[in-house]
Amino acid sequence: MTQAEAETGGEPEGRAALSLEDARILVVDDLRSSRMLIGSVLKAAGFNTLEYASDGIEAIEKIKEFNPDIMLLDIVMPRMDGFEVCEHVRGPMASDLPILIQSGVQEGDQRVRAFQAGASDLVSKPINAGEMISRVKLHVERRRLVESLRRYRQRMEEELKTAEAMQLSLMPGSTEANAVSKARGARLETFYRASNQLGGDLWTVFPVDETRFGLLMVDLSGHGVSAAINAFRLHVLIEAHKADRKDPGRWLSALSGDLYDMLPIEHFATGFYGVFDRETRSLTYAAAGAPAPVIVRADGATELVDASGLIMGATPAATYDNNQLQLAPGDRLCLYSDALYEDFNFPEASLQPEEIASHVLASVEASPPGEFPQTLMRRVYGQVPDDLPDDLTILLLEVE
Amino acid sequence: MEYTIDKTADATVIELNGVLTFDDHERFKGVVEAITGAETDNVELDLTGMKMIDSAGIGMLLLANDRADKSGKAFCLRGVNGHVAKVVELSKVDQIIKVV
Repeated sequence: MTQAEAETGGEPEGRAALSLEDARILVVDDLRSSRMLIGSVLKAAGFNTLEYASDGIEAIEKIKEFNPDIMLLDIVMPRMDGFEVCEHVRGPMASDLPILIQSGVQEGDQRVRAFQAGASDLVSKPINAGEMISRVKLHVERRRLVESLRRYRQRMEEELKTAEAMQLSLMPGSTEANAVSKARGARLETFYRASNQLGGDLWTVFPVDETRFGLLMVDLSGHGVSAAINAFRLHVLIEAHKADRKDPGRWLSALSGDLYDMLPIEHFATGFYGVFDRETRSLTYAAAGAPAPVIVRADGATELVDASGLIMGATPAATYDNNQLQLAPGDRLCLYSDALYEDFNFPEASLQPEEIASHVLASVEASPPGEFPQTLMRRVYGQVPDDLPDDLTILLLEVE
Repeated sequence: MEYTIDKTADATVIELNGVLTFDDHERFKGVVEAITGAETDNVELDLTGMKMIDSAGIGMLLLANDRADKSGKAFCLRGVNGHVAKVVELSKVDQIIKVV
């Protein structure tokens, strides 16, 4: 797609801008006199792009050739009647072309049947000029509106897809992440998926020095476009504050101060940042209201890590303290965002931290290497969900 | 989320019920207007009937607190319980908004 096409949603904007009188109208009637009468009424109202068909078979052909905006259709015709035309248009042709069926007022059964066959509306027969023109205008306008909404929606979807790809590129791939962590004594498994394509979760991993690496997971408040824009802002800050990265408390304090200057009052972030050192096998971390990480020890014991702490970006001078976790070979640390356990449709079904810990333990034990996030999601949701109510991040660090 | 406004002699009490999430942005504007336009100096948000809150909901409470502050109102949350209490404890929002 070219830039120009991308801006207009991949097709020319022409049709929505057309005036009503430019509507293409197909008139189907087996009586020549009826066709001429309807045609003259339409022309008198300013509709000049008309085409005619004298039976159902011809009508189907003309729909394909002429591509009408609306069809005025008689019921009783040779070869193929109006009902069959309707059924063919809605069935095999799968078209939402507006169809106005001409029907006598007395023909009650026929009127119901016309709608069942897929007619959009009825016009009375004999023709009442005013009524017919009003109905034609109504249905052409409605179709144009639906088409412009469809184009708008398509364009938004394209833009969201582009933005989604941009956002995904902020986060390292599994190979990239493990290249950093494995040289520093730990293996990583990672999963991220946004709700509504765009989200406010952001995680990353980077070297601090030869023996240490930093692991950051942040959840920007809200979701969708505004949260994603804030995630981009945070990503810029992450790159800007390189010097403090070895000191998690100091680093989160600096990020929080900058976020406060940047974000509207009602936006903030929760987060967890740890620095793992392969020499001591310890994780120095600071936390800002993140869901409690789960440690699964090599012997299968589980521990919940307190990651409570003032949210980032909500006050001018929030400060964060450093904490220390001693890990050993075979220990795992699981970080996750709140979408894993919160259920807003069924609040009572939300998981408690202890339940999450037992799911994490069972998933660690059951999962083949590299499939921990999927195993955990299957345990919690019953499947790997296509559609999430909120952004979900799952990270697993395993000490080697 | 549903809300009701109750005025006593010295405080305006706004009771929030249900869940407060991303989808409540529009409706919450009414709550903010009730706070800034309150005839009393004290405004309380009663969250006794609030079952759940997400991060956008916490953001709305921050906004309410900020607007109350700017219009010279003494503002607090009360009746914080269940899931809301856990979120407040995790996020330490009580360091920013007064909780009684």
